[in-house]
Amino acid sequence: MNIKEIINTLVSGLISGSLYAIMALGLTIIYGVIHVFNFGHGIVAVLGGYFTWLFLTKLGLGLIPSILLALVFMFFFGLLLFKATINPLLKTPNWEFSTIIFLLGMGILLENLALQAFGPRVKHIPAFFEGSLKIGFVRVNWHEISLIGIVLVFILILNFFLKKTWFGQAMRAVAQDMDGARIVGISITRIFGYAFAMATMVTGFSGILLGTKYYMTPHIGWDWMVKGFVIVVLGGLGSATGAVYAAFIMGIAEALATLYLGSLWVWPIWFLIFVTILLLRPQGLAGGRTL
Amino acid sequence: MMIAAMAHWKKIGIILGLTFIALYPLVHGDTYVMHIFILFFIWAVVASNWNLLMGYAGIFSLGNIGYFAIGAYASGILCKAFGWSPWVCILMGGLASMVCVTLFVGLPALRLSGIYIALLSLIFADSLPTILTQTRSITGGAMGLHDIPPLFEGITRLQSYYINFALFLVMLTIIYRTIHSSTGLAFVALRDSRSFAKALGVNEYKEKIKVFALVSLLTGITGGFYVHYLGDISPTTLAIEPFLLAIAMMEMGGIGRFPGAVLGAVIIVFGNEFLRLAGTLRLALLGALICAIILFFPGGLMQFIDWIDLRLTRLKARRAISS
Amino acid sequence: MTRFNPPALEIQDVDSFYGELQVLRKASLRLQQREVVVLFGPNGHGKSTLLKAIAGIHPAAAGSIRYLGEEISRTPSAQIVEMGVAYIPEARNLFTDMTVGENLRLGAYNRRARSQVAQNLAYVFDLFPRLAERRDQIAATLSGGESRMLAVGRGLMSGAALLLIDEPSIGLSPIMKRAVFGAIAKIKSARDIAVLMVEQEVEHPLRLADRVYLLKKGRVILEKPAAEINKAEIEQAYF
Repeated sequence: MNIKEIINTLVSGLISGSLYAIMALGLTIIYGVIHVFNFGHGIVAVLGGYFTWLFLTKLGLGLIPSILLALVFMFFFGLLLFKATINPLLKTPNWEFSTIIFLLGMGILLENLALQAFGPRVKHIPAFFEGSLKIGFVRVNWHEISLIGIVLVFILILNFFLKKTWFGQAMRAVAQDMDGARIVGISITRIFGYAFAMATMVTGFSGILLGTKYYMTPHIGWDWMVKGFVIVVLGGLGSATGAVYAAFIMGIAEALATLYLGSLWVWPIWFLIFVTILLLRPQGLAGGRTL
Repeated sequence: MMIAAMAHWKKIGIILGLTFIALYPLVHGDTYVMHIFILFFIWAVVASNWNLLMGYAGIFSLGNIGYFAIGAYASGILCKAFGWSPWVCILMGGLASMVCVTLFVGLPALRLSGIYIALLSLIFADSLPTILTQTRSITGGAMGLHDIPPLFEGITRLQSYYINFALFLVMLTIIYRTIHSSTGLAFVALRDSRSFAKALGVNEYKEKIKVFALVSLLTGITGGFYVHYLGDISPTTLAIEPFLLAIAMMEMGGIGRFPGAVLGAVIIVFGNEFLRLAGTLRLALLGALICAIILFFPGGLMQFIDWIDLRLTRLKARRAISS
Repeated sequence: MTRFNPPALEIQDVDSFYGELQVLRKASLRLQQREVVVLFGPNGHGKSTLLKAIAGIHPAAAGSIRYLGEEISRTPSAQIVEMGVAYIPEARNLFTDMTVGENLRLGAYNRRARSQVAQNLAYVFDLFPRLAERRDQIAATLSGGESRMLAVGRGLMSGAALLLIDEPSIGLSPIMKRAVFGAIAKIKSARDIAVLMVEQEVEHPLRLADRVYLLKKGRVILEKPAAEINKAEIEQAYF
């Protein structure tokens, strides 16, 4: 093992880590604010990618307009899904269970509709930039650098939104103490609705980014979702900061596992880390901190 | 007379239903329909076990298809590799499932709650296909196991039908007895008031492990019967479809209601055959069905039965007053 | 406005339930504008439930609640806050992973109060200098007395005309008690505000109050000007 390989591995770990981070954030926002675990997370990410692909190839829009349009679509899709289904379910006594099964069913429904509409063939979203950068012996695609940049900027914007805007503060308030939020005059249902819509949009965005780096099929969402599960549990359910750290840890762990053990071992490593964290520290790295 | 019969309509319904199942092969005996009935017996048991764990014990397990697959694979492998009697292998498969599940899901689940158990059990079942494809020499990898010996040489469809019907009756009796045993009552108490149940001396850990062990044992044994009936198994058993079917059965019948999963299994197993007409849209329809049940009929069929029951009781009361 | 000068709060025949358990039975009371009223009564007899019904956190099952002449018993809690009712719960319900400053700012979440954040913040810091010192500290790390101050301060940030305070003294040391009640006395003298306070302990609140009510088994059993009642009389009614 030489230094060159290790550095290359770390870089590729950083790249996948940043993609995992943005994907896990969508899951974290919904769980943190609404306490609902989105078992339809994977297909939401896939839909974001497919919408972009659709606008790009069928409407002939440019890459950026396609992405923006897809994000708008995802936002309203999330809002509608929440208002029409999740919100009524939250008022039932068995809501924790029924929302999960509902979202699972919804995920499978959407996955197979996507299969029907787009077919099983692999699809790509084109890279943002061509060419690559070479520093010493490390070669990185400009596209991958832009992905890391986009994710970092996104995290900064999200952080600003949560900390500095009334709406973001209200979301954090609901996450931390629902009765307290009611007391200061926050409408819980409204915040729930917009948090769900926002998380759907963020998840869709992660699907778009994943679609530029890897590939998309209607079924790939399950793999992304299970990775998302491991990351949010590692970071601590509902903790945004924890999820970001955990995503980078898993990205690098995955790259190292591929390098030293081979790609067959990647999945067992994910499972092993998941079980270990559940047994030793179920509250996750961030230790129960909220959004 | 009429009214007396109405009061027992549920019992009469069960007796009529079981009689129909018992006599069907003798009266009509279409081999394809018998095959669907056998699948119904097996899935009804899987879903009822799942319902015992999730609906009654309130343990949010999503990995039951995995428990089923472990039993099926273990039994198939033992039978092929050592040539043991399938009956012994089925029992060993059940035990294998029990040991794996109790160790990897049940024990960790003691420290965890709700959503964490759901994630752990789901990821447990989800990691099995990877393990299977990487142990090809034993499990056949992605191709699966083939030519698994039947329960005995030269078994007929009719014999399989009655053997699996017996399995169905025995398993449901065990589940029914468990629900009404001290373990079942302990879970009802834990669900209603955790602190009160503990004050009564209910040992939550012990009861949880017991129900995990029992459910995985029974589900694993059922997997054994399944594999020796069909003769082959592959990782597709662990794909989304069987999982979805079992969830739909529970939801359809009514979560946490005893014969609910059986009623759900009737509709889903037979309905699934019709859904084959829908071709590739079948899974989408199943997903939509699950969503629709949760949104519009959260109590499932059992709630509908309660509703009829209430109407009949009222009718009876009114008759009694007027006479 | 239905009347020229309506009472700050008028409650008539309010019933409230927790599941099957009826906690309030036709409870009625009334608060004039700028009046400080203390509601005494034994534990578990419905005092807190009444405040929650007014604030819309646990809406009343029956009866009428009018704030400045307007019926609010069916109004969502967010709107009640916006109309000028602030509820300070006994459980405090602070946002524990946020700083003191963030908690206070969120107190001014309602649209009416947002324009007055700076002004109200200055007022709260003046009232509780301790909160100003701890402005950037995470709320979870505050002491019991400090978090009580923060809960009261957050309530004041909403620019309310009616303050509902649930047991502000519970679990506090004598010094902290004096500080909290001192602040409430200041609020009373300086602000155009009506206060309905629920209390167990009698001495401090009685000095602050204009009138007192006694609530027992979900019913209001006594109403008197504070000057005409003494500690012994109230404590006697507890049993």
